[in-house]
Order: sequence, then C-alpha cells, then structure tokens
Amino acid sequence: MSSLDTTHAPWILLGLAIAATYFWRGLGTAIAARIDPESGLFQWIACVAYGLLAGLISRIIVMPVGLLAETETIDRLVATAFGFVLFYAFRRNVGIGTLSAASLFMGLVWARGEGIF
Amino acid sequence: MPIGPVFRQGAMDGLSLPAFMVASSMIGYGALVHSAGMSLGIAVVSTIGIWGLPGQVAFIEYVLLGAPILSMLLAVALANMRFLPMSLSLVPMFRGSKSGWRLRYFYVQLMSVNTWVGLLKKAPDLSPNMRGPYYAGFSTTCMAAGAGGTAAGFLMAEAMPFFVTVTLVFINPIYFAFIFSAMRVRACLLAMLVGAITGPPLYLLSPVWSLPLCGVLAGTVGFYADRWLRRIR
Repeated sequence: MSSLDTTHAPWILLGLAIAATYFWRGLGTAIAARIDPESGLFQWIACVAYGLLAGLISRIIVMPVGLLAETETIDRLVATAFGFVLFYAFRRNVGIGTLSAASLFMGLVWARGEGIF
Repeated sequence: MPIGPVFRQGAMDGLSLPAFMVASSMIGYGALVHSAGMSLGIAVVSTIGIWGLPGQVAFIEYVLLGAPILSMLLAVALANMRFLPMSLSLVPMFRGSKSGWRLRYFYVQLMSVNTWVGLLKKAPDLSPNMRGPYYAGFSTTCMAAGAGGTAAGFLMAEAMPFFVTVTLVFINPIYFAFIFSAMRVRACLLAMLVGAITGPPLYLLSPVWSLPLCGVLAGTVGFYADRWLRRIR
C-alpha cells in the first residue's frame, strides 16, 4: 500500500460513515412529508424513538463496550442510582442529577485506581 | 417576531446545560480518537459529520480493528439508526413554515438527541415560522461546543488520567438518562421505562438487531398502555 493510501483511507472511510448516518436522517425526512403530527402514527413513532434511546442508554450503562467496559459495573450502577436520588430530590433537575452521578463515578474509579478498595 | 432574536434565544437555551454536556462528552471522544492514533482533523470532522456519539465510537473502533468496510458501515448505520424515528418526529414540526420546510434536509444534519429534545420541548410555544431559527440557534451552539470539545479532548488526551477520561465518556449516557426522565409525556415515559428494562437482555439476544427491536417493542407498549390508561380513567 502506498503512503497516499494510508493518509487518505481514514477520510474515505469517514465519508462513508457520514453517508451511512445521513441515510437515516434523509430517509426520515423524506417519509415525514406524509406524516401528520397530530396523528396516532406520529405519536407511536415518537414512542419508538424514546424507547429505542432508553434501551441504548441502559445498555451502555449496564453492558458498555470500549473505555467504559474497563470500569466496574457496580460503580456505574451505584453512581447512576445516586444521581437519580438527587435528580428526584431536586425536582427533576437534570444538571444536578448528571453532575452528582458523574462526580461519584469519578471518585469511585479514582479510588479503585489508587487501590483504596 | 423577527428571526434574529429567536435564533439568539435558541442559542442561549443551547448554551446553558446542553452545550456544556455535549462539550464534556466530546472531550471524552476526542481523547478516544487520539488513543486510536488518528488525526485531529478526523476527530473534529467525524463529530460534525456523523454527529451521533454511538456511531462515532463505532466508526473509530472498527477502523482501529481494521474491520471490513461493509461491517464498519453496518455498525455505524445500526448505532445511528435512532435518527430515523427521530427525524420522522422532528421534521413535521417545520411544516407550516416555508423557510423551515425548505431547509429540512439541512436541519436533520444538525439533529442530535440534545437538539431533538430541545426543539420537541419548545415547539408548542413557538409558531411554525419561529421553530427553524430557534432550532438552528440551539443546534449550531451544540455543534460548535461538540467540535470544540472534540479538539480539546484530542489535544489534552495525554494529560488526562484514566478516571477523568472515562468519566467524560460516562457523562453522555447519564446525561441523556436524566434528560429523558425529566419528560412529562406519559406515553413516552412508559416507552422509555420498557426500553430501559428490555434493552440489555435484547442486546444479549442479538447485538445487531436489539436496538430496532427494543424501540418497536417499547414504543408500541408505551403507546397502547397510555391509551388504555386514558380510557379507564
């Protein structure tokens, strides 16, 4: 393989990845012209989007791949639960929930790295 | 109302929490791209071009593995499949506005979970003509924060200890979990509850098809459970 190929290959792959993602965006836009926002079908699609995203998020927290997979499951779950307690305690405050969960998670990962537990 | 102030209002709403969270999670992504040995340009352009973290991570991991192009594309496409139902429910918001409707194929490129929720929450308070400018302001702020965060993460990668990088990666799913839990629409909340419970076991069943399956299952249960609850009331 020439050096030209190795320099340009990631860009070609990236272009394809961008196209693969835009495919869904464009397809949805094309079909959306036929959908009435007041209809039951529209509400069902919104439910599908939310259900899919919730499934994705819960899978990432419970069974992550990549960097997060190097952390302990119990740390992720405890941090998430702690965040939810404060989230509801502060009238569903998204900022407080996120920052408290992230802070506890960082503390737990740090403590494990230091061999504290 | 003229367009400028609405665009600015969108930009300000985006600037509060969403842009901060996008920047944080993209710092984690930038560090990941650096550790994969790819360039800063790839890092930033992939954030703006793919504009969906699970797909971006799939892209980096597959290129790193040297996997066949087709399997990389399939992984990216499946990880970002959520954009289909998301654009289906976002785009009708621009109907009734000539300029908004004309720009719809551009607007969907700006769409992320953040900007999608941002517009869906605000749309009832905005006339159709104001939705486009508001959404554009909100989205470009988030995208700029995402691109800036990616670059910062890439450049700081070597200086960041593991517990910081991994926390930044953790922020993305956890932030979305709270954004969604703050929703007040019962049908969507029910769908999310079912999705969150069935997501992991379905993934064990079929890593590739679990997401669309989970979405249709959870969405259908949420949709009909809500109608049923309304009827017995």
